[in-house]
Amino acid sequence: MGLKEYQVVGRHLPTTTDTNPKLYRMRIFAPNEVVAKSRFWYFLGKLKKVKKATGEVVGINVIQEGKPLKVKNFGIWIRYDSRSGTHNMYKEFRELSRTDAVKSLYQDMAARHRARFRSIHILRVVEIEKTEDIRRPYIRQLLQPKLRFPLPHRVAKPSKKTLFAAHRPTTF
Amino acid sequence: MPAPSQFDRFVEVGRVVLLKAGPSAGKIAVIVEIIDQNRAMIDGPTTAVPRQPYPYRHLVLTPLRVSSLPRAARTGVVRKHVTKAGVVEKWEASSWAKKLAARERRSKLNDFERFGVMLAKKQRRDTVRKTIAKERKASA
Amino acid sequence: MARSRHLTGHVGHLTRSKTKAKRGLHKGVKKSEPVSKPAPAEHTEKQIGGANNGGTRLVPVSKAARFYPAEDAHKPKVSRKRTGKTVLKKGLAPGSVLILLAGRYSGKRVVFLKQLDSGLLLVTGPFKLNGVPLRRVNQAYTIATSTKVDLGDFKVDEKINDAYFAKTKATGKQSNEEEFFEEGKPKAKEALPEHKSTDQRSVDSAVLAAVKKTENLAKYLKASFGLSKGQFPHQLAF
Repeated sequence: MGLKEYQVVGRHLPTTTDTNPKLYRMRIFAPNEVVAKSRFWYFLGKLKKVKKATGEVVGINVIQEGKPLKVKNFGIWIRYDSRSGTHNMYKEFRELSRTDAVKSLYQDMAARHRARFRSIHILRVVEIEKTEDIRRPYIRQLLQPKLRFPLPHRVAKPSKKTLFAAHRPTTF
Repeated sequence: MPAPSQFDRFVEVGRVVLLKAGPSAGKIAVIVEIIDQNRAMIDGPTTAVPRQPYPYRHLVLTPLRVSSLPRAARTGVVRKHVTKAGVVEKWEASSWAKKLAARERRSKLNDFERFGVMLAKKQRRDTVRKTIAKERKASA
Repeated sequence: MARSRHLTGHVGHLTRSKTKAKRGLHKGVKKSEPVSKPAPAEHTEKQIGGANNGGTRLVPVSKAARFYPAEDAHKPKVSRKRTGKTVLKKGLAPGSVLILLAGRYSGKRVVFLKQLDSGLLLVTGPFKLNGVPLRRVNQAYTIATSTKVDLGDFKVDEKINDAYFAKTKATGKQSNEEEFFEEGKPKAKEALPEHKSTDQRSVDSAVLAAVKKTENLAKYLKASFGLSKGQFPHQLAF
């Protein structure tokens, strides 16, 4: 699933009592504009007394990554509805962009908790700039200076030409 | 202090890698930063490889290394260090690169050139056979 | 089209290919000239009795139809497509070396001389090197290689055209016995006409001179093409 980050701006429709309603802006991760708008109304309905029938989307645009070739560490806060209750979570990811980090988050949640897109609310995505602020050891281990590791057990693709080999392959 | 490693090629900043898949397959590049246990950022300004993340399963570690390269260096800096270390020349002088180049050249020969190779091989075979027969006769 | 009963308009109950099969077109269209007969008279003159009837009258031989179809019969659309000149394979030019893939000389490497009006390619072995004579081949059954024999400004004689290769027709009917046997023995082979062998020699002399300029090229043309283990034509460069 290719995700994009959308900025959606919307408001309540003007009424006789309130001719200039307040604008609400949200950053939403979604595969396309349609889903982005839908999620916007889903979240806004939870927060304010506005729904799609009584509101309007004023603007929607894609937020691009500023430095898509810089490796960054992201911290993501989420709210997740499991089969037995609701949990808050904090996870860290090492990726090139905010959308990539969110993509990995959905993959990670699907793998570890069998969680679906609909049961995850992304609360906050933040780039962690200082190494000391990294909380999770699985990211911290990648940040030590002079990091190096071998690639053991490299299995070569079997050759299409011959089925049998005189020697067993070396895998290290 | 852990025991020294049995391995001699590591995923590390400055390691020269050979790309095995994608549009840049067959070219070399250098690891600029380790992203995680599956991918690294690579860059090859001298070999026309754009800066990009690359999974380890699509690259092979070479014995070459640019030891002076700082972590997360930008393309300009990478170019400076790579040219200074003479990576491309060292790679091209290696028998590995020569073998790859020879294989590439062979696969691009046209029908007539292939015929020429066949003739040359035949001649070599003939010379070897004759010399061996001569030596055998002399020693017997 | 008489074999194809019409369902409606010009739609026959047999398909185009079926009518063709019924007409036996795969055996070739009859080419014999129709015997020219004097056109049958359209009218006959009849004697008419009665003083005021002018004596004679022209009566049409076949009466005009008394009824006309109420609906117009559809006229089949005339195709305006014309076959253009066959486009040569990419990279083919006089002097290119071709690999023949079908027929008596399949596997041979030959020199391409020119394209004939029928779209077929005129090639020669040269005959002295690999036994392939001046011959027409369909370019679909060849592989064009990037190797070229530099023929310079050599031009093939205009007389070597499609008609030059046409078969001479056997005159009259012959029994199989007569065709192949003579006095109880198989017939001696007919010798190649003298002018054809001289033409072959004159073309080949120019080609051979050009071939000799490149090392191994004569050997290359002499050897036939084949695939060895692990070689696949779509992966090879020619």
